[in-house]
Amino acid sequence: MKNMISGERQAPESREVCRFLSEYCGRLLGHGATCLRMEKNVKRIADAYGKQAEITISPRHVHISILNQDKSEFVTAISSSSPCATSFDMITRLSRLSWEIADDHIDLQSAWRKFRDISAEDRQNKWLVCILVSFANMAFCRLFGGDAVAMCVVWCATFAGYCMKQYMLKQHVDIRLVVMVCAFVSSVLGATDYLFSLGATPALAVGTSILYLVPGVPFLNSFSDILGRYYICSFSRFMDAVVLTVCLSVGLCAGMVVMKVGMF
Amino acid sequence: MNEEILLDALYAAIAAIGFAAISRPPRRVYLYCAAIAASGHSLRFILMNDASAGMHIFTATLIASLFMGAVGTLLSPLAKTPAEACIFPSLLPMIPGMYAYKAFGGLALCVLSEDQSDFGYCFYQFAHNGMICIAVLLAMVTGATLPTFILKKISFQATR
Repeated sequence: MKNMISGERQAPESREVCRFLSEYCGRLLGHGATCLRMEKNVKRIADAYGKQAEITISPRHVHISILNQDKSEFVTAISSSSPCATSFDMITRLSRLSWEIADDHIDLQSAWRKFRDISAEDRQNKWLVCILVSFANMAFCRLFGGDAVAMCVVWCATFAGYCMKQYMLKQHVDIRLVVMVCAFVSSVLGATDYLFSLGATPALAVGTSILYLVPGVPFLNSFSDILGRYYICSFSRFMDAVVLTVCLSVGLCAGMVVMKVGMF
Repeated sequence: MNEEILLDALYAAIAAIGFAAISRPPRRVYLYCAAIAASGHSLRFILMNDASAGMHIFTATLIASLFMGAVGTLLSPLAKTPAEACIFPSLLPMIPGMYAYKAFGGLALCVLSEDQSDFGYCFYQFAHNGMICIAVLLAMVTGATLPTFILKKISFQATR
């Protein structure tokens, strides 16, 4: 009975479970799941296949060790985080997959197939996102007290900057350079409110035109990992977010210097 | 005041939907994010601007985030998504982006400053805005995450 799970089916090899979980967890890490969620999902899947799992999450890699219930077999795998964008949709689907494995007793081959199907999907309309982000930043400007002119300027600056961001990321340009260039472009466009004396709140137009580049989710994830006591991963995520914020500020300062706009 | 609160809620909802799009939540979650962001942001607005409350941004953010975390966690089984997929995009309009950019701007101007009084002013801007930024971030995440830890059974079984 030692290689059976749920009293019915053959337990998969530890090596195969370990390989699946390392890919699965690497993808979760890449899409920006919190460490606590990764650990819970991995242990849930391992438990469903009659294994014990130990997981170490480092900034760019995940180490997963799988142990048989009778402790006769011990396998470790290391996988890199997938280079992909933050996606709560993917995290939701991957979390659901872990419950399907646990509750519906899906075998490992089917789990692999579902995992590949989930990983292959990218259902986002880039133009729609661009427009939504522009409206969001425009609303943000209003929340800080910007007038109608500042809101319109921010919409245009954000739209141009975000289109550029998408294009540069598609060309596989380094994200730090992308943020710097987009902050520069958006701040230069945002400063047109100053340049042509269009509205009453030009400083807010410049200041908020780049806020769509603030890495909000990495900041939130890093602080969330602190609460879960995953300090190394938390520090890494925090530093990533700080570096992006520094790049953003450099681009913004360059834009303000070019347009001769003061910050304070 | 009432009109201002409603406008704050409306713009927070628009900001939440747009910024949520960057982090790609499932489509059905957008409405939940908008509702949570609108209620949470307007709660913070009231706490900060109401004459009797008049709270500091840190305290107001902590209370608003606790509310958003609790509502997001309770709604996550309805949305069938992890709690953070509802909560994090809703929190984005409260990210202290202006403080972050002023802090780093102050740092850059410190480096470029040529006399002591300029340096002192820029360093004050850097330290003051940086500290508020970190404190508000901490308040946001602590407040929003605490309910998911307290209600672990709900938040980690929402996708079941």
